[in-house]
Amino acid sequence: MDKSIHPSRKAEINIQLSEFEVPPIQDILLVGKKAPIGPEAVRQMIDALSPEQYEIILIDHIFFEAVVLKKSITKLIPKEKLLSIILDEGERIASENTLLRAQVNITIQVTRGVDL
Amino acid sequence: MLIKDIMETNLITVNPYQSVRQATDLMQRYRINGLPVLHKDNLVGIITSRDIKENHPNRLVADAMSKKVKTVSPYYSIWQAKKLMEEHDIERLPIIENGRLVGLVTKGTLLAELNKYFDPLTGLNRREYLCYKVLDLLQEHSQITIIFLDLNNFGNIDKQFGHVLGDEVLKQTARILKDIVEKNDSYLCRYGGDEFVIASVKPLDDAVSLAQKIIAIMPEQKWPRGIKVSFSVGIASKKIFNNQQIDSAVYDIINAASLASTKAKSALNSLVIVEL
Repeated sequence: MDKSIHPSRKAEINIQLSEFEVPPIQDILLVGKKAPIGPEAVRQMIDALSPEQYEIILIDHIFFEAVVLKKSITKLIPKEKLLSIILDEGERIASENTLLRAQVNITIQVTRGVDL
Repeated sequence: MLIKDIMETNLITVNPYQSVRQATDLMQRYRINGLPVLHKDNLVGIITSRDIKENHPNRLVADAMSKKVKTVSPYYSIWQAKKLMEEHDIERLPIIENGRLVGLVTKGTLLAELNKYFDPLTGLNRREYLCYKVLDLLQEHSQITIIFLDLNNFGNIDKQFGHVLGDEVLKQTARILKDIVEKNDSYLCRYGGDEFVIASVKPLDDAVSLAQKIIAIMPEQKWPRGIKVSFSVGIASKKIFNNQQIDSAVYDIINAASLASTKAKSALNSLVIVEL
């Protein structure tokens, strides 16, 4: 058979397997005012995937309308301090259309002195 | 005229967990610019074409709708509704009865209805507005005075000079009255063909002074073809007490003022005052 008349067709399949993170928002999610999903949609998602683990804080901000915060983080650092830092950093790289996910590592350094 | 008489009752609604895209489709299909948002039969918001333009189509309606919604009862008057819509700069007003959404009124519908109670010849409101205004005033005041002004000999003016000049007299009369009434914190309407009514919450003596001023000023004006124009005026004043039926009191007092103006005309006396 002439190959130019009957070309062969092949499909190549690449599969990447990775673990689905539950929930997919990590520690903090900044929800832009014009992002494809809003705070109520996020609430529905976390209620279904990780009930009671996140807090949704509605804010009055130039780009963001809500911050979704993992409750366990606020045991390590006051919520207001963390929000101020994360919004400050978030607005440098985000816009109203952004849904920004953040992972936060907090290291607490303690030095105690004891009487010998 | 009440909101229930003009509200749209066949409503297209959306639920908060539908997408903005679905809301857009509904608005396009039914050619409307706003949808009430219902959750378990309760009104939780309203989504408009403006919200749709500003939000991603993937968003939930709950994340795109306006949550602070002004609502009124079906028994609101159309003038109260207009005032509310202007104060809050809103285009559509959901109507709630017993906690349930029963209708919707848009600004367009409301303005079309309000136009029916506006007299284009004189630029004054018609009698229906006055009845509403008197009821509104009586919510805050305990006394109301109605000045009923009837143009003398107007039928003959029409016959002798023609309806075009007759209309000119009516227009000029309205301008004169408007100028005087606006300075006196009272309310004016064209009640009928050649009849005008002023409602005032000022003391009776002030209303009488106002009427006397109007009676005196009319013959002094420059009227077309030197037509002689004057008013017969009836004044009725009433104090309203707490338990009194305000609705019927309003009609009683307007009627009394009307009869007083007829009496003034037939007795060739320019002013008759009645206290109810």
